[in-house]
Amino acid sequence: MERVVGDFVGILRRHQVRVSPAEGIDALKALTHVGLAERPVVRDTLRATLVKNADDAETFDRLFDVYFGLGEPPPEPTARMRPHTHDDDHAGTPNELRFEEELEREALDDQGSHGHDKEPSVDLRKVLDEDQIAPSSDIHGDPERLRLSVFGRQLMLSKKQDALEAALERMTHQLRVRRARSFSPGAIAPETGATELPIDLAAADLDELADALVDLEVDPELISALTAQADDILAGLPELIAAMLERQRRLSEAGGTPDLGVTDRHLRKLLDVSPAEQRELERALRRLGRELHGARSRRMRPDRTGRISVSRTLRRSLGHEGIPFTPVLRRHRESRPRLVVLCDVSLSTRNLARFWLQLVYGMQGLFSKVRTFVFVSDLAEVTGLFEEQPLGGAVASIFGGGLIDVDANSDFGRAAEAFRLEYLQAVTRRTTVVVLGDGRNNGRPANAAALEEIARHARRVVWMTPEPRWSWTLGGCDMKAYAPLCDRVEVVRTPEELSGVAESLALETVGRREK
Amino acid sequence: MFASIEDVQERLVAQKYVSDRRLATVVFLAMRIAKPILVEGPAGVGKTELAKVLAAALGRELIRLQCYEGLDESKALYEWEYGKQLLYTQVLREKIGSVIGPAEDLKSSIELLSGQEDVFFSDAFLVERPILRAVRSVEPTVLLVDEIDRADEEFEAFLLEFLADRQVTIPEIGTIEATAPPLVVLTSNRSRELSEALKRRCLHLQIDYPGPETELEIVHLKVPEVAPALAQAMVDLIADLRAQDLRKAPSIGETLDWAQALVVLGAAELTRELVEDTLSVIIKYDRDADRVRARLAAANGAAGVHGHSHGPGHSHSHPHAHADHTHDDAAA
Repeated sequence: MERVVGDFVGILRRHQVRVSPAEGIDALKALTHVGLAERPVVRDTLRATLVKNADDAETFDRLFDVYFGLGEPPPEPTARMRPHTHDDDHAGTPNELRFEEELEREALDDQGSHGHDKEPSVDLRKVLDEDQIAPSSDIHGDPERLRLSVFGRQLMLSKKQDALEAALERMTHQLRVRRARSFSPGAIAPETGATELPIDLAAADLDELADALVDLEVDPELISALTAQADDILAGLPELIAAMLERQRRLSEAGGTPDLGVTDRHLRKLLDVSPAEQRELERALRRLGRELHGARSRRMRPDRTGRISVSRTLRRSLGHEGIPFTPVLRRHRESRPRLVVLCDVSLSTRNLARFWLQLVYGMQGLFSKVRTFVFVSDLAEVTGLFEEQPLGGAVASIFGGGLIDVDANSDFGRAAEAFRLEYLQAVTRRTTVVVLGDGRNNGRPANAAALEEIARHARRVVWMTPEPRWSWTLGGCDMKAYAPLCDRVEVVRTPEELSGVAESLALETVGRREK
Repeated sequence: MFASIEDVQERLVAQKYVSDRRLATVVFLAMRIAKPILVEGPAGVGKTELAKVLAAALGRELIRLQCYEGLDESKALYEWEYGKQLLYTQVLREKIGSVIGPAEDLKSSIELLSGQEDVFFSDAFLVERPILRAVRSVEPTVLLVDEIDRADEEFEAFLLEFLADRQVTIPEIGTIEATAPPLVVLTSNRSRELSEALKRRCLHLQIDYPGPETELEIVHLKVPEVAPALAQAMVDLIADLRAQDLRKAPSIGETLDWAQALVVLGAAELTRELVEDTLSVIIKYDRDADRVRARLAAANGAAGVHGHSHGPGHSHSHPHAHADHTHDDAAA
């Protein structure tokens, strides 16, 4: 069980679900209480103990299905296992039952309650003391439970890979006959991480496998028990291996495209942001939210982490003869900074603009006033749009072209002029103006004067461009003219860089140094 | 203590709380491996209720700690009763002579006095707050830490010791371990992300809006007076509203309020007029109300009958909902 859970935790981690070792131990403890008989219960148990973010729940569900999905009513035709398909069929042959029992006893041994100890994970076992183990032993005692579910069997098989391998070793000669069927060592031992699996194994490969298996120390009783029922098992084995192989393939390929929920998927299509970027964005916002309390102002307010206010403390302590039992602490009230964002949404900067708009959307609560404008050649304010609509809808209507013509050639000169005429009063000494654009006006006048006037009103102007400095001199780029007018010019090409800049920017805006 | 997962479910239903198997599993595990439960989900899905019914089902006392910004340990854990300490000092002023009587100089009298110091930091002057009460209780209790996301992050950190080891440390007294560990339920509306450290110490349970069948069951259980057909119509409409893009989707709590309201009004059928009149029970924002009215009107016009007046199986198709939505967007 430790191995299965450990393996599964490893897979979760590979899919960016953060699971701590303590949580893994919790999961094991919990499983000893609920048993392995019912698949939904195991799923809920693992989910409650391992997954703590609602966002990760879907990743978990998907991985769980794939990882423990070996014996399900076949998702693919290859994953068919004749003797194991139906729970109810289990009345089956007595042979089969005995086999299960054997495995089961092994399972109990593995949990450490009694019997042979050959697994290395001793410290886990210390955690599982005797009476916590006890409930699982009544699985053993209860004849009803002897009919192990398909799911339980999968757990056994995954766990008892040694046994499986041992059985394989004894049966190599029989397997050779059947080697036309597809299977490979990679499938048997998922830890090897084999992804590409050859369909036809040469006899030499099988010999090698057999040699490797001989080295494994396996309980001889188990092997004999298994070989005694070789025919039964063997009949199902190739399919079982094929199913494991299939599972392995799905586990390893699933990494690229974690399945998001319906709404998320909808959003993703609109935003075209990879999940990694999404995560980065959320992380950046959380970090910002924590760091950013606002700029210092002169007003003080009571705050239990502040400094002692002598006069107030004295006044409060008048009641107890002036003995200051309760000090009054005060701190500078923090006022939130203002931000004006000008965002180029033309084709050349679109990918970054999307990310940036999301970031701004998330930051709106952090600043006292964020006004967001988008431009290509025309300029439009989208602040209201952001307030009214969920992010997906807002961004969709911006890029849908309803507000401004997004397919026009970008012209910052013209947009800046429009801004200067209409919205200049939005810029005050407390305002930071952030421009996201490539500064390419496609031959039209740069109109640096407009930017200069904006800069004069603003506390700071920060320009973010996706183009590296060396290319500013190439055709139609007016960054040379704009750059000296800005307090800071940042070259950002990836969302990571952007969120980094946004963070340092936000911190500086509120008058704190970067850490 | 619960015997099995089914037992949890049965006993919750006995308390008129409908639970799915996942919830029951988590509760069962929380009792068995002694871990706090962190319940997350939108407002009004029965997070707080869960703690209450657990207390009732287990026959335990419910101790509730409502979190808010600025909550600190003097409100959550313990406080010294300064006023009382001062009063006692005053009253016992004459006694001081007998305590330090034999002392000759200042130094020895201070030593004598500090020998008595413990008296003033003892149980007599300790005000128990919810967490300390749960820890010191002889009978096991259920401790509800409600809306932990509203508290500051420092408070979260402060909770860690209690959550992990079921103990609290009071500097003047020492560490107090729980004799009868309480079942701890934390709830969060996810208005902010909780720290990893806190989450790691809890079993995580996400509760979402229930499916129509479950909700129907809840309505019948909680408001048995409501007629089955009416309940069905209500639940269908609510499910439809939740699929809409509303600022605040109606919660289970609101469904129940609504059912109650309809019972009071003696309604037998869910007519459009009735829905519009009672809309304020389920919809809490003007903008949402406008949308819902427009939607009802559209449904009425299109179908020529009352949108949701009859029985099961009568609900709106999704393409319809989407058409509505985009229309709204264009208008905005």
